[in-house]
Order: sequence, then structure tokens, then C-alpha cells
Amino acid sequence: MKVNRLLFFLLPFLYLTACTDNCKETRKYRRYSPVTFTANQLRQGVQIEPAQPLVNPGKIYTKDQYLFINELKQGIHIIDNRNPSAPTPVAFLRIPGNGDIAVRDNILYADSYMDLVAFDISNPASVQAINRVQDVFPNGSFEGGWWSYDAANKMVYDQKVSYVSETIDTNCDEGVNPTGGWIGWAFTSMAQNSATSDKSGGSTTNGVAGSMARFALYDNYLYTVNQSTMQLFDIKNPSEPKIGNKIQMGWGIETIFPYKDKLFIGSTTGMFIYDNVNPEKPVQLSVFQHARVCDPVVVNDNIAYVTLRSGNQCGGFTNQLDVVDITNLANPKLLKSYPMRNPHGLGVAYPNLFICEGAYGLKSFDIRDVMNINQLQHIEGLDSFDVIPLEKSLLMIGKDGFYQFDTSNPRQLRQLSRIPVTPPTYY
Amino acid sequence: MKRLLIGCLMALVCQNTHAQSFSQQLRYVNYTELGGLFGRVASGTSTAQLVENRVSFTAQTFNGVQLTNRLAVGGLVSVDWYKAALLTPLGAGLRFDLARDSQRNVRLLAIADAGYGFAWLHKASSGYDVKGGWMINPGIALRVGKPSASAFVLSLSYKRQTADVQKPLTGNDIQRDEHRIYNRICFRIGVAF
Repeated sequence: MKVNRLLFFLLPFLYLTACTDNCKETRKYRRYSPVTFTANQLRQGVQIEPAQPLVNPGKIYTKDQYLFINELKQGIHIIDNRNPSAPTPVAFLRIPGNGDIAVRDNILYADSYMDLVAFDISNPASVQAINRVQDVFPNGSFEGGWWSYDAANKMVYDQKVSYVSETIDTNCDEGVNPTGGWIGWAFTSMAQNSATSDKSGGSTTNGVAGSMARFALYDNYLYTVNQSTMQLFDIKNPSEPKIGNKIQMGWGIETIFPYKDKLFIGSTTGMFIYDNVNPEKPVQLSVFQHARVCDPVVVNDNIAYVTLRSGNQCGGFTNQLDVVDITNLANPKLLKSYPMRNPHGLGVAYPNLFICEGAYGLKSFDIRDVMNINQLQHIEGLDSFDVIPLEKSLLMIGKDGFYQFDTSNPRQLRQLSRIPVTPPTYY
Repeated sequence: MKRLLIGCLMALVCQNTHAQSFSQQLRYVNYTELGGLFGRVASGTSTAQLVENRVSFTAQTFNGVQLTNRLAVGGLVSVDWYKAALLTPLGAGLRFDLARDSQRNVRLLAIADAGYGFAWLHKASSGYDVKGGWMINPGIALRVGKPSASAFVLSLSYKRQTADVQKPLTGNDIQRDEHRIYNRICFRIGVAF
């Protein structure tokens, strides 16, 4: 009798549990909608404004203890970083269609859709536009959305990006098809059957860019890459950039990384190595080809580190770090690949390598043995897009803010400061 | 979390060792069972929902000590082969005899197991990353056999296991993660001694 009474209490919970698997997939993705601007409208939009909060940050750049954080397609946040623990916003430089930055001496170069604009930043709080090279960039992309310039009609056709987050119920099965195997075979079969269905001449000084940069400075030239070409600008007189050579490179060019007298170009199909002995006319030495994915590249000594990521305009399904031996620049060789989650920008400060994993955080590695690269730390819970390793610190930008870390101990990066994104747009 | 679990297991093992060294009355018990995890899954939007049946293989071994005539406690190791996740729960559990008369040949037991399911044995497709999660497994069991000898065991229980999966990014994706809760009726057959 006692047993029966206990059973009476036990049985209901079996009914209440509702033996239905509950699997929810959370997906965040970009959505694009068309938008059009006139060239005049864009050119008149350049101005200096009071400091503003980060909303949708893009690339980062640093020079002389000042930070330049790109606000995608909107302009540049200028931040005084003399105290890395408490960076102070100075001003916001509004530049419609801006995505990239380069600074030589006191001149800042920025793209504004189809134009290159030069600014005098001697006084960061009162930046002045001093020159503009018009109609030099025919097209480009921001966050996977494409824009193009119609020179005849002086119109820019762009795509506005919005972010969507959705949660859907799944059948818990995606990713594995465990039909091969021992005892499990019978059960999985049952389940299936039962289914209902730098050389910077003289005393000039350059800033430092991240690995996702499309602008690079070397000697008397500013190198800019768009989807298919490398456009050079002669900046012998920094305040008067002049259009230089244009080099066709093939489709899918993404990033440029200058190292010594070489240029390393990241593209969706491979890494291009250019000899820049004659800075006026870089010459292609070789191509390291890989599957069609996005791939920023950084270089240290004779090793190039290339991250491949899928998604968006990158295509492909590869997410990994490729370590490439470039001892023979004419014949780069893959040494080893390491699986990654969704690698974006990366930065090397030997013996450490830092890789941004997009929405999946930031990783630091020990690269003393390139055949056995060890992960030292994985900081999750933040979004990381690109990094700039400095002597003892790391600058990192992501969709949820700008971070500075003390890298004295690469196993345990210590956050020095953070400038959050306000308001959060989608995270 | 994992450290906590390992700590609990160590404590349990130590406790058992301690108990055995001080009292020879504590008897070692083992329950080893095989069976299936039965359930359903509903996917899709509310207007186009697809319901499918699910059966997965499960195996478990429970090793512990008979603390009293009615109560046994111990640690357990399982293997749960869900269709898209091979998980290995480690945990602790108890077996409580619901009948006061412990000399009967057929005894009804209350079972309660809990632990953390690890994905150590899982081999994921490229781009997928499966992580385990917490597991609870309460239920009842029939122990058929003389109390002093080996016996057959039939158990019916509810098993809740969580897991998290990172999925490959395609198209315009920025993030794609899945949180899984496996809610299953667990039916197992095995031996106890």
C-alpha cells in the first residue's frame, strides 16, 4: 500500500515532462535595402562635429597616441589615448561613405565613397579638410553590401545594412548523420524510419592600421585597394595627394598589409605578394591560392598568417588559420592549417598572435612553433572584428565596442578600457 | 561547472572508500543497463510545423555502495547517442528501495541521477562545434532477483539533457547557435549485483 502511494506521486511527473525535444537556433544576419545619394550631397556632408558615441564601428587606426575609429559609412571618431585606461573622445569627423583611414605626419587620408579626402589633423579637435581627389573609387562594399558610383550621373547607389536576429525551432539533427557505427545504427535507423517526414622616407611618420585595412602607406605612396584594383596616390607632398598608377589585380581584393618592401594582399581567392622595391609600380611576385573565402593576412619574418572565413560575400565554408612559409616569396608554401570559428582580423606581436573570431570572441596564441601553435586564451562574450597589437597592449574593435587590453601576460589579457557601442544596434 | 562535477565525483569516491574502510557492512553495488531514449521533436514555424519521432541508444553503468538496506548511492557513466550528438554524462545518483521489506525478490526502486554530459566522444562535421550540458534522470526501476544475488533491472525514467551547438555560417550570417534540450522517456534493461 505504501508502495502504491509512492507510485502515485511518481507517475505524474512522467506525464508532465512532455517528452519532446526542444531545440532553438538563434541566428543573426544582415539584411540589405537599396539607397541612393548624389555626389554633391555626399561631398557637402564632410564636417567636424562634437564627439559622438560609437554606434556601428568599423576599422581602427592609431597614431601618436590618438585613436581613429571608423564609424561605418558615417565618419571617424577621434580619441585621445594618452591614458589607455581612460581614452577620451575628442571629436567626430563626419565623412559620408568612409571605411578606411591612413595617417602620415599630420595628414589623415580617408575614403568617402568615390573620393579620397585629405585632412589636416594638427589640431585633432578642429580637423580641416584640405584636399580631395575626386572620382577615384568606382565601387566598394561595406559589411557585405555593395555600392557603386555612376560618374556620368554623379550618383552613388548603395545598400543600407540592417541586422536581424531570429529564433527558430529546429529538429535537433543538423550537422551529423550518424548512420554508420555499431549498435547505434539500429536505433538511428529506427529513428529515421519512424519520422513523419615600412620605408617611410625621411622623417615622416605613419600610423598603424589593423589587418582589415584597405589603405597602406609606404615611401611616398598611399596604396588603396578596392575589389579589383590597387590605386596608388603620390603623397610626396602629404597635403596634396595626387592620383598615381592603377594596378589590376583580379576580383575579390580585400585587404593590404605592407611588410618591409613587400605588399601582401588578401583576396577571396588567395594571398597576393607584391614586390614594392619600386614603390611607384609594385610587381606581383606570387599568389598563394586557397578556397574562396575572406582572408586578411599579417606577416612576421618569413611566416604569413592568413585567416580564412566563410559567410557573406566571402562565400565558401572554410574557417581556419593558414600558416604560410614565405621564405621564397616566389613560391609561398602552406605549412599548416588550424581550424577556427569565424576568424576576422588578426595581429601579430611575436611571439603572440591575436585572432578576432567575430561574434565568438578573441583568441591569443603562442606562435613560437608554427607547426604547433598553442591557444593561450579565448575571451568569449565579446564581438571582435580587428586588432592592432602595440608594444604592450592590444587595440580591438568589435560590434559591441572598442577594447584595450594589457598583453603583458598573453595567457590572461587584462582589459584596460572599453568604449561601448551606444545604443547597441543588434547585439 | 566541470570542476564542480569532478569534485563531487571525487568526494563520492572518497566517501565510498572512507566508508568501506571503516565499515565492512557497506556493500558494493553495480547497475549496468542498455536501452533507448524515446521522444519527439517539433520543428518549423507554427504554421508549418513538422513533428518527428526520435529514438536514441543509451547505456549506463552505476557503481556505488549500499548505504542502508534501502538506499544506494554512487557515481555513473553513460553514453547517449542522440542523432546529432554523442554525449557522455558523468554524474552521481541514488537508488532507493520503495518497499520497506528488502527481502522480497521483486523490488521497486526510485532512481535519481544527475550529472554533466560531455561531448568528448562526439565527432562533428566541419563547421559544427557541439558542447555538452547538464543532465537529470529521475525515474523508477524494477529489480527482479534475490536480494543477495545478481538481478535483472528494468527502469523507466525521464531524461533531460542539454547541449549547445555552434553551426557553420553561410550567406549573410553573423552568428548561428543552437541550444538543445533533449526531453526523453528512457527505458533501460540491465543487470544489478
